[in-house]
Amino acid sequence: MKKSTGIRKKAFPYLMTMPTVIILVLLTIFPLIFNMYFSFTDYYYLSPKNINFINTDNYSNIFKDVYFQQALFNTVKFTVLAVIAETIFGLVLAMFINSIKNYSRSMRTLTLLPTLLPPVTVALIWQIMFSNNYGIINKILSTINIKEINWLMDVRTAFYAILVIDIWQYTPLAFLLIYASLQTVPKVQYEAATIDGATSWQQFIYVTIPNIINGLIMVVLLRTIDTFRLFDKVNILTKGGPANSTATVTQYIYQYGVKGLKVGYGSAAAIIMTLFILIISSLYVNKSLKSGR
Amino acid sequence: MKRKLLPVLMLCMIVFALSACSGGIPAGQTGGKPAKLVIAARGGSHVDAINSVKEDFEKENNCTVEVLGLEAADLKQKISLDSQNKVGAYDLAMADDPWMPELFEAGIFANLTELGYKADSDFVEESLAIGMHPYGKGDIYALPFAGNVQLFFYNQKIFEDNKFEVPDSWEDVLEIAKKVNGKDGKVGYVIRGQQGNPIVSDYLPILWAYGGNVFDENWNVIVDSPEAKEALNLYIELLENGANYEKNDIVAAVSDGKAAMSLGWPSWYISGETATAAYAPIPGKVSDSSKLYATGMIGNWMMGVTANSANKELAMKFLIYVTSADCQKKAAEYGGVPTRVSVFTDEGLNKKYPYFMTILEGTRNSVIRPRTPLWTDIETAYGAELSSAISGTKSIDQALADAKTAIEAIMKK
Amino acid sequence: MCRLNIRKVLRGLLVVVLLVWTVFPIYWMVSLSIRDDAELITSLSLFPKSFTDKHFIRLFRQNSFSIAISNSLRVTLISLFFSLIFGLSCSYVLARTRYKYKLRGPMLFWILLVRIIPPIAFALPLYIMMNRLGLMHTKIPVILAHILVNIPFIIWFMMGFFSGLPEEIEESAEIDGASDLQLFIRIVLPLVLPGITAVGILSFMTSWNEYIYGVIFVQSPSQFTIPLSLSTLNSEQELAQWGRIAAGGIISLVPVALFVVFAQNFLIQGLSSGAVKE
Repeated sequence: MKKSTGIRKKAFPYLMTMPTVIILVLLTIFPLIFNMYFSFTDYYYLSPKNINFINTDNYSNIFKDVYFQQALFNTVKFTVLAVIAETIFGLVLAMFINSIKNYSRSMRTLTLLPTLLPPVTVALIWQIMFSNNYGIINKILSTINIKEINWLMDVRTAFYAILVIDIWQYTPLAFLLIYASLQTVPKVQYEAATIDGATSWQQFIYVTIPNIINGLIMVVLLRTIDTFRLFDKVNILTKGGPANSTATVTQYIYQYGVKGLKVGYGSAAAIIMTLFILIISSLYVNKSLKSGR
Repeated sequence: MKRKLLPVLMLCMIVFALSACSGGIPAGQTGGKPAKLVIAARGGSHVDAINSVKEDFEKENNCTVEVLGLEAADLKQKISLDSQNKVGAYDLAMADDPWMPELFEAGIFANLTELGYKADSDFVEESLAIGMHPYGKGDIYALPFAGNVQLFFYNQKIFEDNKFEVPDSWEDVLEIAKKVNGKDGKVGYVIRGQQGNPIVSDYLPILWAYGGNVFDENWNVIVDSPEAKEALNLYIELLENGANYEKNDIVAAVSDGKAAMSLGWPSWYISGETATAAYAPIPGKVSDSSKLYATGMIGNWMMGVTANSANKELAMKFLIYVTSADCQKKAAEYGGVPTRVSVFTDEGLNKKYPYFMTILEGTRNSVIRPRTPLWTDIETAYGAELSSAISGTKSIDQALADAKTAIEAIMKK
Repeated sequence: MCRLNIRKVLRGLLVVVLLVWTVFPIYWMVSLSIRDDAELITSLSLFPKSFTDKHFIRLFRQNSFSIAISNSLRVTLISLFFSLIFGLSCSYVLARTRYKYKLRGPMLFWILLVRIIPPIAFALPLYIMMNRLGLMHTKIPVILAHILVNIPFIIWFMMGFFSGLPEEIEESAEIDGASDLQLFIRIVLPLVLPGITAVGILSFMTSWNEYIYGVIFVQSPSQFTIPLSLSTLNSEQELAQWGRIAAGGIISLVPVALFVVFAQNFLIQGLSSGAVKE
């Protein structure tokens, strides 16, 4: 009896993870090798007989490319700003809706709506709102005597217009994840803190935050990875302009790799992008690898 | 209750999942069923046009015709990817004219001349030439499906109210823009200044009117020639006496009367019988006394049989059918622009669609974008620099010099 | 007394600002979908001046939207089902140190890597693979791709929830003689329902709105999902059909919103349900 439960015990973790392992092996091994291999070649999909090894030429060409440098700078700047804004707003939202007693379900659903829309639709709706030909935003601004602004075509505002759309679209996501984390904070801790005479602000710092810190870090990490991939909105609304001020790394990969089917070049760019994000998220990665959580 | 729910749910899921496995006949296999032709087309009015005429063909030839409508960039990607498969999933494919050199080089289209096709002189020469490889002289690989040529659009009312004459030189355009701009909240001239293909398509006609071009006859890059700088200067001046809008806003503004003039494609303003703005050929000279150049940019959509199709003969038959005069007349109802002289000059149609003659004239005097397989990359780089110039982040000289460097680097690869 | 009122006013203000910020663009979208064609090309006023259902009808008649909806539902629900099962099982094991799992480190890194790599990098090799396997005319490639997209996120996020559970839970169940699987399903899962709900909602939404894999695997219009169908409405060379675009957005929103409403029942159950006495 003891032996069989012992084996079953040992096998349990492996059985539980097996489906995931199978999926990952099936779907990721080939692409990973594909990308790594071809990033050292000049593979152009439409002439498969003419593949040459060019060592690290792809990588050096990418780094030397002024457009890539601009795209990288824009992407980092955008990611930092967006993640900070979305996490803070998400936290405030989650705390606020957590404290509402009536209509909380409808409030939650309404708050989530922006994230649920198809990204293409979001971009197009904001395009028509930002339009400088009778767009509703300019119209409302004109009622308080602000001159109309060419939001998406003016080099001074295009970047921030896209940032605003991103915040509108993804703060609900941060909200949802933080809200779920808030539910796991044991109520007894709040009760104990109240008994000890802590103010709401102290309760927030000493009870709430430590309990949801994992969730917060997760949100920051997740949004960092996803925002770094900014592409849809830029591709539809500005195509990287004006004057490359909204060009992003994914858009660069798309323009120069995917669109032209330059597989080698695109793979190298994708690998560079991955390494970049890995470096940025390495702090959290190290922590979770060590503690085995 | 809970115990029973889980297995039932799982059973449902498995059934559901299995239903996902079926989906249709794999490419190339017909197994006794009627043949199927799959067309990779650009989504939108083209799909509607094809769908409206395919029934007769299906009945006559006992086959089914399926039209896959995709957005332009996706379309290009799909037909390129599919071209490398042994048996094509698509029998016919549509392509935008700037893509043709790249697609020819990759051998995506089947050689129609070798399949027995004889050139039809009813097609407008300039349109048919796009489908020939080499351009204008070689075998035919694709036929012109939808015609399109850039025209000059203006608001009728503004012109009438101010007694303006339709400008035939760019200096006249600038003058009108100066007179209209800013009065009553009106905009003089609208540029389509979005980075990339929009600004390049908007600027090239002006460049051509100055006698400039992207390349000279020997494929040297001349984007920073003195003519180009003057053209860009004029373009920026037009912006100063106008505005920079995105395509939808441009059409709305010129149709509505908020803006006076802009360049554009007929398919934007004209659908069926009504045109929402007045149109004329694009001015071909700088001032009344300077040399006249061709400036109408042509932008046809071509259709061809894929080189790896399993039903080449049937596909070619459909291609000939769908580009025939009758089908093009029907397609006109969906906003389709014909490519056959007989359809353009048909009297009945001309009464219904008065713009046909203007487009025919425009096509005959049209200019085609440079025929290089690297045009996509070139347009991206050129567009970025032009955008910098009009945004003021770079001077005209700097922007064009950078454009030249970038384009030369691309051409070297 | 005074303080309470100021607080209430501030709260009320916050709610109003929040609602306007969140809902206005959605209101705008709704208003676009019900305005007449003629009104759509003029300067739009704040409130619609005309009402029509033409855009919705056109979507179904001309753009075969019902096929797209059915495809989207199938692909999303199937991939969600498998993603959750596989992802939750794997996440649990990775999170609890009591399970001696030798591959923990490599698995964590691998899953992280898969999440970070941009989907564009995977799309082409997977296209080649699926083509060779002859699966392109089925829904299998898209479903597998969606599972691939969602599993890493599910695993990661749930790890935080699982590791937040006290060790005593499993020990007390073991004493009662429960097997590991029973323990997982009957005791652990109910405790992390808020996490499962959040992850389920987000995975549903990601799958529902996914485009890159959808477009690269599509071979025939009968395989279109909603995002693919919507993309053809915004072509560079034709005027944007605002009415239809807005109507499409609304129709796309409905199933996801319904799912959210339904899933919310599970969102506010937590540790406070008292499985473990402190």
